[in-house]
Amino acid sequence: VTNEQAEFADFFRASWEPCLRAVLAVVGSPQLAEDQVAEAFARAWGSWRKVRRHPAPRAWVVRTALNTGASWWRRRSRELPLDDHSLTASGDLTDGLDASLLAALRRLSPRQREVIALRIFLDIDTDTIARQLGIEAGTVRMHLSRGVLALRRELTTTKNHGG
Amino acid sequence: MNASDDMSDADVLIAARDSLSRVPLGGPPDVETIMARGRARRERMLIPGMTGTLTAAAGAAIAVTVLAPASHQAPSHRPTLQLAAWTVTRLADGNIAVTIRELKDPGGLQRTLRADGVPASVTFASQRNMACRRYPGGTPRQSPQPGTKLLKRVFPEPYNGLPAGPPPVPRGTRRSGPLARRPGHVTAPPKLSQNSSVMVIDPSALPSKAGVQLVAGPGAHAVGLPQVVYASRQCTGS
Repeated sequence: VTNEQAEFADFFRASWEPCLRAVLAVVGSPQLAEDQVAEAFARAWGSWRKVRRHPAPRAWVVRTALNTGASWWRRRSRELPLDDHSLTASGDLTDGLDASLLAALRRLSPRQREVIALRIFLDIDTDTIARQLGIEAGTVRMHLSRGVLALRRELTTTKNHGG
Repeated sequence: MNASDDMSDADVLIAARDSLSRVPLGGPPDVETIMARGRARRERMLIPGMTGTLTAAAGAAIAVTVLAPASHQAPSHRPTLQLAAWTVTRLADGNIAVTIRELKDPGGLQRTLRADGVPASVTFASQRNMACRRYPGGTPRQSPQPGTKLLKRVFPEPYNGLPAGPPPVPRGTRRSGPLARRPGHVTAPPKLSQNSSVMVIDPSALPSKAGVQLVAGPGAHAVGLPQVVYASRQCTGS
């Protein structure tokens, strides 16, 4: 085993779950998320000399996974609103996930979900997210703010209903 | 005032993370498998013959024109035919998945589609049949919302991956996508693959006298937006 192989193996084992959960939060289907993340890690190994020098290699994996799995529709429009064949429609996520959070995520745009996923699962700062997504930091903050607002609203509703 | 009002943004995100983290997931695949997959992909990119193939395909496109069948026909042969360049698979719900890996043998793809109950015409773009006319609502709109309702019905969204290996089989009582609401139409999502483009056709969603046209290229990984076209003898051959 070469040093490169050992390095990648360590990266893979440590990063698989957070990357998978980040992708899952965006795509909604565990099966699709696993497929896409596996493909992204394979590509990461195929370009490891580049990826290992990336400022946020986990974010590279997540971005690659989402690009890999994007349908030919969504490849042309990352901002298509989440409709009934993505998150929640299959029920894939309903086990173990708060219904209120699910509803909140469903109402977010894919980009908003991606920003939130990168923040909460990969703990990436705003500037790095902006560079990774090729958008302005202010746009990241806007997505994050709106996403948090939606999540908070759901949490508030739940609390009120629950007494 | 309630507890949520007092939550900071960070608290909200932590609550979201904790909730999402409760979704049970399987463990990671074997790293050797992942590395072998990545290695194979890298080698494919480096093989001179393969590079030549991709270069040759760069200026080419493939047009797949499918005539809406009068009715569904049960496949009379094996449901899946696996070839190097492409795969045509009849899914459990009657839809047809076309996976293109290389822009080769359009005649074979045409014959296979027809044998699977889908009258089809397949040509390369350099020989594109200019007699095909676009069907109303069958032309993709501009971003950010390119898909019309007709296009999204004809090309169901859930099939954004490659149905690799054995044909998909029903798994339980649910699936994502519009067809999930049709009793008896249950299909497992296809597996994803690499270096391929997949188009799934729901023949029953095509209007009468209409077909679809798919333009792919450069490279099999870049399937363009398919269109619905009028079916005609000149366009589809029948």
